[in-house]
Formats: sequence, structure tokens, C-alpha cells
Amino acid sequence: MQLFANALIAGSLAALMAGGLALVYGVLGVFNLALGQLALVGGYLTWWLHQSLGLPLLISIIGGLFLAGIITWITFELVINPFYKRHRFLPIVTTIAVSMIFDALILLLFEERPRNILSSTKHFVTVAGARISWEQLILITLTLIFVASVAYTLHSTSVGRKIRATVQHSEAATSLGIPANILHRIIFIMSGVLAGCGGIFIGIDQNLTPVLGFPITIKAYAALIAGGKDNFWGTIFCAYIIALIEQLAIGVPWFAGSYIPAGYQSVVALLFIILVLLVKPSGIFSHKLRIA
Amino acid sequence: MNFLLHIIAIIAIGLPQVLGYNVIFGKGKIFHFGPIGVSLMAAYATFLTITNGGSYLLGITLGAGCALLISLLFAWLSFRLEADALGILSIAVHLTFLTVVLNSTQVTRGALGIPRIPRLPFLSSLSSFATIATVIAILWLAILYMIDTGPFGRKLQALAEHEWHAKSLGVDREHTHIAAFLLGGIGAAISSILMPQYLLLLHPNDYTFPFLIILVMIVVAGKPGSILGVTLSAILLTLLKEGLRFLPLPTTMIGPIRLLLFGVILLLAVYVRRDSLFPQQRKI
Repeated sequence: MQLFANALIAGSLAALMAGGLALVYGVLGVFNLALGQLALVGGYLTWWLHQSLGLPLLISIIGGLFLAGIITWITFELVINPFYKRHRFLPIVTTIAVSMIFDALILLLFEERPRNILSSTKHFVTVAGARISWEQLILITLTLIFVASVAYTLHSTSVGRKIRATVQHSEAATSLGIPANILHRIIFIMSGVLAGCGGIFIGIDQNLTPVLGFPITIKAYAALIAGGKDNFWGTIFCAYIIALIEQLAIGVPWFAGSYIPAGYQSVVALLFIILVLLVKPSGIFSHKLRIA
Repeated sequence: MNFLLHIIAIIAIGLPQVLGYNVIFGKGKIFHFGPIGVSLMAAYATFLTITNGGSYLLGITLGAGCALLISLLFAWLSFRLEADALGILSIAVHLTFLTVVLNSTQVTRGALGIPRIPRLPFLSSLSSFATIATVIAILWLAILYMIDTGPFGRKLQALAEHEWHAKSLGVDREHTHIAAFLLGGIGAAISSILMPQYLLLLHPNDYTFPFLIILVMIVVAGKPGSILGVTLSAILLTLLKEGLRFLPLPTTMIGPIRLLLFGVILLLAVYVRRDSLFPQQRKI
């Protein structure tokens, strides 16, 4: 039961970020390889507001998310916007460059040692035999709220219809008066804020370290690719599946009662992408887009 | 003098890999981000064999064979996947190799790396190492230049510009791209056989993701596909990288500043080459 709870926690973190990515890929058709660093930016800024400036936790979190949104917007204007209409592969290289810049700035400003947003000890509860902290319960709830909100927005509001129209055919949507350029910005900033949420959770639940950026990105992309790059629901589902497989891989005795070393846990997500891409290159839940 | 020889050796050792990668990513516009994974496996295959009593010949043969096999694997993957999926998958394969090396401590010593790497007898001194590495780099450059200006280079360029049209003119994508990946693999094998001998150490930290970024940056900054441009870019950026050691800054700051500088250079290079890095397909 504890393994399932751990999978739910890790899956929620991955789903939070991968869900935003799926929307970005669906709308803009670009990969953002600086996503993990944007998550760390949100986490470190919250740590700075709370621990260095002494602001209350809630204000620090709101401030961290706001600043993460601003930085994501600047990233979009400098690193995505000048490139993505020329060729959709250019942002992959530019976001790699910006991930290096963020890594360097995080190292220079916050140093290499681990940082925890909360200095107090955590309080745990036992749910159906699994031990979970309050912060983890909040993350799981937050992810469910996010998924429900996206579902409602996409399927029951005019904004959602505009987003879906832009996903299906950006030029046709623009010709019908939908402000595709503004939607592109909103979706990208939203993915950055969601990544920031993930970074804040890491800073509260575990520790923030500058080396976390790329593993976070890869895990979110594992879910995105496995789910079918523009399929929001497939991505969310695969985020949880990958987390579950990771937990089962190291938490269950496999060969003659022996366990797979924990160091191999990160390989599980990578092997999952490799396997999915080899069996079904377009992703498990991919579907054909309308092109006219 | 020793520092000059060191710079020459570092540039010459790295050049075969950079030029090999330039064939795949620069000229072929193939979204392959796994060359460091190829180097990692080639280096470990070579030096695990040698340090466990195997001969140099056997070690080098196994290392080169490993590099070629993994390159073929990447080539095969490139035929199955869309370009962006190949990019992500090749990073995934690289990181999988790295994780396996780091965790197989019984065989690879994990994060400790393999110390006391033996050098080939004729590579014992710094000057001989710099000379031999330079000769190898120049030979490799000349070979690639001839290949690049011949039919293979034209086929690869045609496929990069417009695959359908190239195919309709009889260009075989599979053969051409396999050859490109193999050239990249040979380049990676040469560099990964020389570098640990030069450092007398094989360490997994030398095969992490930032090294891929440096490789991409050298190719992008030097003009993708241009052998001479990429060679010049490799020389200048290596000089910059090594020159940063002399900045009067604490050692803990040198690494991040190098990362920051290279990130900015890569961004500027992509901005300057935004029309030629991944050109719009020709419309007829």
C-alpha cells in the first residue's frame, strides 16, 4: 500500500508538470527542455521569499508562483517566440541553452547545498495503511484540482473551445478570430507556473538542489511521449503509470528475493520511453489530428 | 609551453568527435542527442578490457565495435521515430547508459571512475600525445572533408533539405543516414579512446549532459555542416573554456560562469543561425 501511495505522490508531481507540457506541445508544437529548471526557479524563489526575506509561507508560495510566471513569460518572449514559427525544432536547442543559463544562475545565487522551504518537521497521517505527510496530501489534492479544472476549461468553456481549435489548426483558428498568439503565451506561462508548483512541492517535501532540473524534465517528457505528445489525458495517465512502475521496480523483490538497487529507479522512466517509442512511436494514446 | 601543448592535445582529442557529430546533426539535420552515450560506452568497453588484462588491440577493437553498434542502434531508431521523439529518446538512451555505469559499481567502480588508465607506449609524454592526437585529428578532418565534398555529402544535404524530393531522385535515406551515424560513431570512438589515456582517468562525470550541450554549441556556432567552420569553432570555444581558468574567481564560481557563458553563446549562435540551423523545407 505504501508503494501505491508513493506512486500517487510521485505521479502527481510528474502529472502536474507533464500536463502543462502536453498543453504546450498541443498548442505550440514545441518541446521545452528547460521545464525542470523553471520548476527549480519556482522552488528556489519561494525558498528565498520564505527563508531569506522571512515572508509568511502562503505569501512566499504565491510570490514564488508569480515570479515563476514572469520568468516563464520572459523565457517565452526571448527563447521561444523568435524561433518557434521558423522551425519547431529550434526551441529544443534554445531551451537547452536557457536550461544551462538557469542552472548556472541557480548555482551562483543559491549554491550547491540542499535547500528546504520548510524548516519545521512534517506531520504524517496514516491513510489505508500508508504513511503520507500533509504536504503530500495537498500535492495529490492540488493535482486532482488541476486536472478537474483543465477538464472543465477545455470542455465546458469558450476559452477551452478556442484552445482546442488552436490545437487542431492554429491558422484556421486565427482566421476565425481566435487570438492564437495570446493563447500560446497563456498556455506557456501556465505550464511554467505548474512547473513552479512542482518545484515548490519538491522544496517543501524534499530538498531543492541545482542538479534536479534535468531529471524532472526527463520524467515529465517520459509521461508526455508515452501518453501521445498532444494527448492531455494520456500524459496524465502515463505520469502515474511510470511512477507506479518506478516504485514497483525498486520496492518489490524480483530475482530470488533480491531488490533492484535504488540507483536504477531513474532508469525505469527512461526504459519506459524507449519501450513505448519502439512499440508505438506516436505514443500509447495518440490520435490523428484534423489537418483541414 | 606545457599549457600550449595541453591546449593542442585537448583540441585535437575532441575534434574527431565534434566533426563526426557535425556530419549527423550539422549536415544531416538529424535530431541525434546521443553522441556522448556512444563515447561513454566506447570508453568503458575499451578501458575495462585493458585494465582487466586485455591487450590494447583487443580493448580498442571492442571500444570501436561498441561505438559502431550503438551508432547503428541510433540509426535504426531514427528510421522508426519522428525527429523530436528521436531527440528525446537519444537523451534517454544516453542517460540510461550513464545510470548503468554509475550503478554497476562492481564492474565500473561507479562514481569513482577508473584511475591509472595506461597509455599506449608512444603516447607517454605530453608532446608526443599532442603530436599524435593532432596528426589523427588532421587525418580525420581530411577524410571527412573528402567524404563531405563527394556524393555522400551531397546526398546527406539533399535529404536534410527535402527528404521526399531527394528520395524521388534516387537518394537512399537508410544507407546515407546509416553511413552518417557510423561516421559519428568512429569520431566518438577515436576521441573516447584518446581522452581517458590523456587524463589517465576514466570518469563518468566526463560524459554527462553538459558535454552534449558543448558539442551542440560547437556545431551550431561553427555553422552546422561546415567542417572548417566547426573546426574553428571547436578551437575557439576550447580556448575560451580553458582560458576561463585564469579568471581571478573562486573555483566554485568558475563552473557556473562557464555554464552561463556557454548557454549565452549557444543562444546567440542559434539566434544568428535561426534560418540555417533547421531551414524551412524548400517549396517548389
